[in-house]
Amino acid sequence: MQATASISSPVPVVWYPTLAVAMVAVGLMLTASFFMSGLYANSVEIGKPICLRYEATSSRHSRSFAKEITTAAVASVFLGFGSLFVLLASGVYV
Amino acid sequence: MPPPVASLATSGLLLLFLVSAVSSSSLPLENGIRVVSAEKRIDLTGSIVKVFVTLKVENAASASDASQVLVAFTPTEVQHLAIVKATRAEGKRKKKAYNPLSVQESDLPTTPNGARLYSVQLSTPLKPGETTTLQVFYVLTHSLDPFPAEISQSESQLVYYRDSAVLLSPYNVLEQVTYIKMPSNRIESFTRVDPTSRAGTELKYGTYNNQMPNTYLPILVHFENNRPFAIVEELVRKVEISHWGNVQITEQYKLKHGGARHKGAFSRLEYQSRQSISGTSSFKNLLARLPPRVHSVYYRDEIGNISSSHLRTDSHKSELEIEPRYPLFGGWHCTFTIGYGLPLQDFLFEADGGRRYINLTFGCPLLDTVVDDLTIKVVLPEGSKNPQPVVPFLAEQHLEVHYEFNPIFMLAEPLMLIFAVFLFFVACIAYLHMDLSIGKTS
Repeated sequence: MQATASISSPVPVVWYPTLAVAMVAVGLMLTASFFMSGLYANSVEIGKPICLRYEATSSRHSRSFAKEITTAAVASVFLGFGSLFVLLASGVYV
Repeated sequence: MPPPVASLATSGLLLLFLVSAVSSSSLPLENGIRVVSAEKRIDLTGSIVKVFVTLKVENAASASDASQVLVAFTPTEVQHLAIVKATRAEGKRKKKAYNPLSVQESDLPTTPNGARLYSVQLSTPLKPGETTTLQVFYVLTHSLDPFPAEISQSESQLVYYRDSAVLLSPYNVLEQVTYIKMPSNRIESFTRVDPTSRAGTELKYGTYNNQMPNTYLPILVHFENNRPFAIVEELVRKVEISHWGNVQITEQYKLKHGGARHKGAFSRLEYQSRQSISGTSSFKNLLARLPPRVHSVYYRDEIGNISSSHLRTDSHKSELEIEPRYPLFGGWHCTFTIGYGLPLQDFLFEADGGRRYINLTFGCPLLDTVVDDLTIKVVLPEGSKNPQPVVPFLAEQHLEVHYEFNPIFMLAEPLMLIFAVFLFFVACIAYLHMDLSIGKTS
């Protein structure tokens, strides 16, 4: 028998539930900021419903496009890792 | 007249040489070896036959160094042989160390009465004139034949055991004795080969002196054996390895009671009211030994979860005691699934050269059971390359699977999830920037 080093997970298993909650929380907050920045930044007409206010921002899409993509990317990274840790913490070892 | 007599003599000598040449090709290579004393202990107290043979072997002073010692088995024994192990005692008295020796099937031609030979490789050759002591241990399965073949619920199970009174050996055996241990005092009959004696649960055949090579004196013992005859007809073990820290093992069993078949009706009333008489050869519990630190153990079958089970854990092992839904009588089957999870660091190691290997127990965790058909499936994580199993020759050892894995591939799983979520966001952005109105807005 070789006396060799044993390999374990790169992240300690006891951290899985904590990491899951933390990352999903951060991811959801970033998602919220993604949607909210789209809502209030460009709405001018107060009387119209919110979905139609969105359509009014088409003129400024080139400026906020990069910002929206960045927020989306960061939020999806956090939500992705968070859902991975949720799956691992609940016993589905993917 | 000298010339014809001389020619007759030479032809006679030639014939003698031919005959001796032919007969020596069937003798073992180390024909200077002989067994000074042999003690064979046969343990029939379970459903499998365990035999311990202690051989004191001497190499003749005129022969060459012996590097192997041969042990012989009959063809039926070879068919039912599960394990053969040999050890050699070295050192004196308190410093005795038992060194395991490798045992291989020998490809020498079979002996005259059809016996098959196994060769025990000695770690250091036996010099001429030296003696050494070897212990050979072997296990035979399916060697106890129930007779009568069918019994009712309240009868006891009686089985036949067939063996030889003298040790089957390719060497001369100077002195030998055989002890057979039974599980209970009830022995219906046994063949007498003088000197034979019986003391309670033990039969003694011996001491026999100066037996020629390859002698076989068949004996038949008929005795009571009510130990559980649990046979796993088919076992499928699936081992799933996840680099995030878990090894999940799922085992599907087809269990059978392999003793005397049950005939007649089964009366539950009689079974529960007279437990000492009714169903003595049946069993209702099975014990499985699992590694320590096991979690998420489940025991179910096609109907659903089976709640009659107990799990006891400690720091060295875990014991799972399972009770099938009904007691098993002779010839009855049941199927079930056992699953459990284990921490990864107990089983996954790094070998030289950066390769990883997983080290698992090969056989079935159920104690005192015989497995007829075993399939092991090992599921490696995504991105593993070059898997190579190292399968042990005989059971009850560890299976190793070596493979290569680049740790960067562990990111494959979170990247998949991130990509899926990102697609959702991109869809949102696309929807938000699309102008779906029919007319002009402003």
